[in-house]
Amino acid sequence: MNAVDATEHYETSARDPAPALLTVVLDTNPHAWALLEDSLPLSKAIANILVFLNAHLACNYANEVAVVASHSQKAAWLYPHENPATKISHDADGDVSMNGSSTNNNTTEGPGQVNKYRPFRIVEEQVTHNLRELMASTSGPDVKANNSTMMAGALTLALSHINRRSIAWAEAHGADTAAETSGGGPPSGGHASGTDTTEGLQSRILIVSVSGASDSAHQYIPIMNSIFACQRLHIPIDVCKLSGDAVFLQQASDATKGIYMSLTEPRGLLQYLMMAFLPDQRSRRHLVLPTRVDVDFRAACFCHRRVVDIGFVCSICLSIFCEPLDNGTCLTCGTNLEIGDYGAKPAVVARKRKKKKRVNGPSGTATPTPTPTPGP
Amino acid sequence: MAPPSGSAAYKKKDGTLTMSQDRQSISWIPAAGGATGTITLSVSQITNLQQTPASNPKVMLKIFVLPPDAPDNSPEQYVFNFTAGANARAEADAIKDALSAAIQAAKTAQAAPTPSPAPGAGEGMSTAMAFASAVSSKSTWDNDKWLKGDVELQQSLLKSDPNLQRMFMESLHTKPDTLTAGQFMSQFWSTRIHLLRAHAIERSQTRGSYNVLSTLKPRVEDNVTKLNISKEQIQLIFNQHPLVRRVYDENVPKLSEAQFWSRFFQSRLFKKLRGERLSETDATDAILDKYLQADEHGNLPREAHVPHFLNLEGNEVNNSQRRGNRPDLDMRWSAPDKVPIIRTLNSLSEKIMANVAPADGDPHAPVGMDEDTYNELQLRDLRGDEEADRVLLNIRDQSRFFSAQAKDSEDEQNRLFAQQDPEKILSDLRREIEQNLPDDGTAPLGRLVEPDELGDEKESNQQPGSRVSLQKSSAQIIAAIRDRRAQTDVSSTTGTYGLSSGLYDRLNLTHATTTEFLHQFWQAFLSGNPDRAAELSSLVDSLSRAMERIKAVAQDAEAERQVEVDRKKRHAREVMEATGKKPRLNLSSIQGGEKVVNQLMGPTIQALETAQAKYKAALAEEMKEASAQ
Repeated sequence: MNAVDATEHYETSARDPAPALLTVVLDTNPHAWALLEDSLPLSKAIANILVFLNAHLACNYANEVAVVASHSQKAAWLYPHENPATKISHDADGDVSMNGSSTNNNTTEGPGQVNKYRPFRIVEEQVTHNLRELMASTSGPDVKANNSTMMAGALTLALSHINRRSIAWAEAHGADTAAETSGGGPPSGGHASGTDTTEGLQSRILIVSVSGASDSAHQYIPIMNSIFACQRLHIPIDVCKLSGDAVFLQQASDATKGIYMSLTEPRGLLQYLMMAFLPDQRSRRHLVLPTRVDVDFRAACFCHRRVVDIGFVCSICLSIFCEPLDNGTCLTCGTNLEIGDYGAKPAVVARKRKKKKRVNGPSGTATPTPTPTPGP
Repeated sequence: MAPPSGSAAYKKKDGTLTMSQDRQSISWIPAAGGATGTITLSVSQITNLQQTPASNPKVMLKIFVLPPDAPDNSPEQYVFNFTAGANARAEADAIKDALSAAIQAAKTAQAAPTPSPAPGAGEGMSTAMAFASAVSSKSTWDNDKWLKGDVELQQSLLKSDPNLQRMFMESLHTKPDTLTAGQFMSQFWSTRIHLLRAHAIERSQTRGSYNVLSTLKPRVEDNVTKLNISKEQIQLIFNQHPLVRRVYDENVPKLSEAQFWSRFFQSRLFKKLRGERLSETDATDAILDKYLQADEHGNLPREAHVPHFLNLEGNEVNNSQRRGNRPDLDMRWSAPDKVPIIRTLNSLSEKIMANVAPADGDPHAPVGMDEDTYNELQLRDLRGDEEADRVLLNIRDQSRFFSAQAKDSEDEQNRLFAQQDPEKILSDLRREIEQNLPDDGTAPLGRLVEPDELGDEKESNQQPGSRVSLQKSSAQIIAAIRDRRAQTDVSSTTGTYGLSSGLYDRLNLTHATTTEFLHQFWQAFLSGNPDRAAELSSLVDSLSRAMERIKAVAQDAEAERQVEVDRKKRHAREVMEATGKKPRLNLSSIQGGEKVVNQLMGPTIQALETAQAKYKAALAEEMKEASAQ
């Protein structure tokens, strides 16, 4: 009679592959979207992304999505957004209040809409609603003041949400993952062990980026920190670049083993999303990913942007310089550095005369180096 | 303590070597000729000390002095020959110890960087003299010069690291002839000082003493209990248990040595010292049982200074009942017969630690209520969390972090951004969203995503999601996948890349030695030292020879591959003769050969070419300068 024991159902479900959490960071920089208006208007891009999100939700009943807008003056949630003022309120159990507001009644105009799959519908409603609110709350001076986008804040929001969902998922699914949670960070993203049964929530981040990079320079350190956090938690960062080019995003996706695509044809956004970005981590292990192969890793000096073969690296902040610095002060962090007798003008002809003109500083005998330059 | 002095000869003249009262200098006064011939050396200028090893009947002290105005690589040497006959060794040692202590003090006070290693310092050392490094071994690894000069240390490092040894031997054999072995060694080691230092530190570490009694295990042979004990073990027992030494002293003439030990290991005393509980059934021993009540510490001087925080004596004064509390039972001194094992282990650890020179703290420091004691008494657990002591990194300008080479396009974008009217773009965006994405999630996604194809074909191609754009985008993705797959395919051929393992090893070694010579070249080239010009040109020769070696390996690899190709061809011919069918030959599937070698060594070859080109350019320039003058 054990066959009819209801616990069997739970046992099998525990063996099911873990659901995936897809977090989309949408760059909503109005400047950049205005430039793109002719090829891909924002609303159409949103529609494409919504279709993509639906596809993700349809893969597994337990899959989750989250959407963060990286706007010009702030980062904001588009979904899920717990806003009590929202007309359509959801109870804790996800019920929609029956006495729907006037807008709800308008759905009758499209007969297909009432039969829409619920999770799709919730995401669509919230994303569109919150996007409108975000745009409405943006003033002209806000846009004028800032050409860039709040990528660091958006990434941080995305990461904290992933963290929260991972912990919640691990708690809900009990003992299997308990050991993993106690071990350190929450079980998220990929896994090191390779055993499919113990893996946690599969999280990944997709950045739909339209802004260039130079304006977000002051966010360098927070962004890098987020990237390293993702690397540590095995969360791939996929980058879908609609316009412009950002070195740090290339490095982000490369460091986290995500996919980087700079779209040559933004009008085909849906095609890109569906072909390149839909597979989750589990499937990606078996696929050849369409990420670019030529990530630029060459070091460029900080002073002139030259690509260097031999450079000077500040031992404090790791800035790279192509030539010895004036009086040894690092341009980035201001640390006083000592440079050994390296870089003196090569003397290839033996000379009788002791006195020799030198290009660089005092003679080698007067500047002792504690240790010679270490070998490569 | 009077400053040490000793009679010593300098340049065959007799005299006296004396340390000054303030220990800042050492002077030699000739026995004949008065003060005129006096040599005074300041301690702060002494860079090195060498002394003949103890086995040598000649007692000599060599002092290297670097006058402040002299160039780095020419220390003056003073050799003093101690002449006091049997007493010479003791005198020399006293002076050497005093000197090294003074040097050490002067060094730490200066805290100046050690002088850069002089080129060819290894040569300066006369191997016939075989001087042993005399300055206290504690600082040996702090001094790069010593590390570079210590041939014995280097040999021992090579012995412990076969890889390094292989590379060392190979480089030594292929070095240019103009480079002497000494020069080569000093260059080779100058880039591996850190290895030498680690090795020196490793060698200077010794195993400490251990709990002897617990390791002595009797074994039973032919119904007789036997126990082997070595001289060292007896020594250790005496050290660790002064009581046993006392018992031994007082009894051994009466008992024979063997008798004493056999009785001791069966006695209650032995059990007690091991920390075992005594039981009634244990055999008694008329002589040894007397000592059971003796103080186990013997005459070992107890370390008087017990940290107040741990001192249980403090609890004696604490009368808890006075305040109406229960009697305080914890942390009280208790009789020695309780938990003997813990007592034994504690006292043993104490003794073992007492024999180790403390690395921290000065045992001669005054003991008393100083600041440290005060700090010691503070209850640290009651304090709040300490503030993290971080070094702040100030980043001045971050704008350059992101800007890639495509600076112009960024500027272009910024210019376009600046032209836009923020109000207009915002209202455009709002209107568009309003129009396409209704607030309630009833957006007609299907219509938005898939454009109406019925209209003007040209126009619809410009629509997002049109057939043309989808085709273009999928083409891009597929191209990326193709690139990616091609790349992963290449890396999948791991191992020796089709080369035979012997050849691959040779290639590896060639690579290592080439890198070594490149290293030495750059060191000499960039040193800017005209004295090293001759050495530099010989290094350039060795670079071109390194290139030839790579080519030789490539040729051999090609020959090896040719053999394989011939074999395949012959096989194909045989198949054709036998069956009359011509099999398809796929020669490209045979890996290895020159191509692979050149591919693997590509960066190295490029580095060699760069080095040679730089050298030639610098040479041409200097020649031009020289002729212009």
